Amino acid sequence: MVIKIIQIIVYPILAFIIGIFFIGLSRKMMARIHRRYGPPITQPLIDLIRFFYQKGFSHGSIFNFGIILSLAGSIVVLLFIPFGRMSPLSSSGGLLVILYIMLFAPLGVALSGGEGANPNISIGISRKLILSLGYEVPFLLIILAIMTYYKTTSITEIVKIQQEAGWALFSIPLFLPGIAYLLILPAIIGMRPFDIVSAPQEISSGPMVEYSGKYLALVHIEHAFTLFIGIALFINLFLGGATNIGFFFLKMIVLFVIVLIVNAVFPRYRVEQAIKYLWKWPTLIAFVGLILTKIPIF
Amino acid sequence: MDRNQIAKWLKSPDKMARKYSLGAVYFCTGCGIIEIPPVITSRWDAERFGVVAAPSPRHANLFLITGYVAVKTLKAIIRTYEQMPEPKYTVAFGSCPINGGMYWDSYNTIKHLDKYIPIDGWIAGCMPRPEAIFIAVTKLWMMIDKDAANGYIRYREHYDYYRRNQEKVLGKLAWPPLYPLNKSIEVERKESKSKEYKEKELLSVSE
Repeated sequence: MVIKIIQIIVYPILAFIIGIFFIGLSRKMMARIHRRYGPPITQPLIDLIRFFYQKGFSHGSIFNFGIILSLAGSIVVLLFIPFGRMSPLSSSGGLLVILYIMLFAPLGVALSGGEGANPNISIGISRKLILSLGYEVPFLLIILAIMTYYKTTSITEIVKIQQEAGWALFSIPLFLPGIAYLLILPAIIGMRPFDIVSAPQEISSGPMVEYSGKYLALVHIEHAFTLFIGIALFINLFLGGATNIGFFFLKMIVLFVIVLIVNAVFPRYRVEQAIKYLWKWPTLIAFVGLILTKIPIF
Repeated sequence: MDRNQIAKWLKSPDKMARKYSLGAVYFCTGCGIIEIPPVITSRWDAERFGVVAAPSPRHANLFLITGYVAVKTLKAIIRTYEQMPEPKYTVAFGSCPINGGMYWDSYNTIKHLDKYIPIDGWIAGCMPRPEAIFIAVTKLWMMIDKDAANGYIRYREHYDYYRRNQEKVLGKLAWPPLYPLNKSIEVERKESKSKEYKEKELLSVSE
């Protein structure tokens, strides 16, 4: 019991550090791919400290509440995802709970952003909701395929089975949902070619445009958590999790670097192109995978 | 980050964070903006100094006024400057904001920008090279260390002066004052308002 309480406190801090490290790594690696020297790897942390010491403007109580809602939603999702052996809240039915609570983060940002009367915010929110509608369909099919194949809704169970029988990404019927997840991963963590929500050159960072000071810092922390959730879920569902934290972190870095290279090279989709793509290829692949899991020869 | 800076970080994290994380407003006032794309992209990479182009004035703390300021641009500059969260720093770029530059006798140019918003530093030249921006950034670091980059404090303390100058050029401003004004100015404004009112009344009577 005491161990679980300690884990509940320590896990979000660890996830925050890893998420911030990933943002720093992405800025540094993007710079190197552009043949620049790039900022120090601690730059996102320095930015966060600056935001906390800057004066913030609030736009009313819903504005403050929405950020806290999205942050809390992200933290609760975190606690359901096993991280190495650390899994404070995961029990049977963990996957279903994640499916429900994962919507809290975009909803909270939408709720809070709606208070600041800026046209860029409403464009950004509509884009965010459309995009989450776009990736929820293949995401649901992927999770359905996994649940029907392993006949369980607990992530810890899925990890255990994979550690005995091999990674799901390289098993015959489940490699298709795995590929589909890889295709929608940039959309989940908001990276190019799907960074249409926070497109800084188009709509001045969309829903974040009115945040300043400590509110902006909270949004950045929420982004770090989103990064962690998207990647950690893939590793638990398809790469067999890990028995200790270090190995899990190593897998996360490898996956993140792959996403990062795509992010550095490709331009951004338009909204309707993104939806067209998300509802075509990942959905098709995941659907075929779901059908294959029901065929008894595999 | 040097190892000998750790003590400084522990002593005053706010100052150090402000120094090494400068979000610059990407705001095109004049021809000087042409020097900014090479500065923030791969030729002269400004991100290694922590200078990033911020997408919105709410995220920023550095305002680079890039060249020639027209009367219409001044309005946008004041609004952008007032939207930025404190602490904020302004650097005027090029010779036009200093004294008008080659537009010294133009009827439509703001010659001395520091009468309208506080300026922390100047980069002279027409055009200054991108290296000059980096020199300015390092100078700004020194100024932040010594608490000399206090433009936002000056703006708060002498808001009456700045507001009066702004209204002299732009006429009546459409937005409310950022800080409370002195009473004398408010009285003045009320008098002028009553004058206008009386004139209107007279007009309506004559009609």
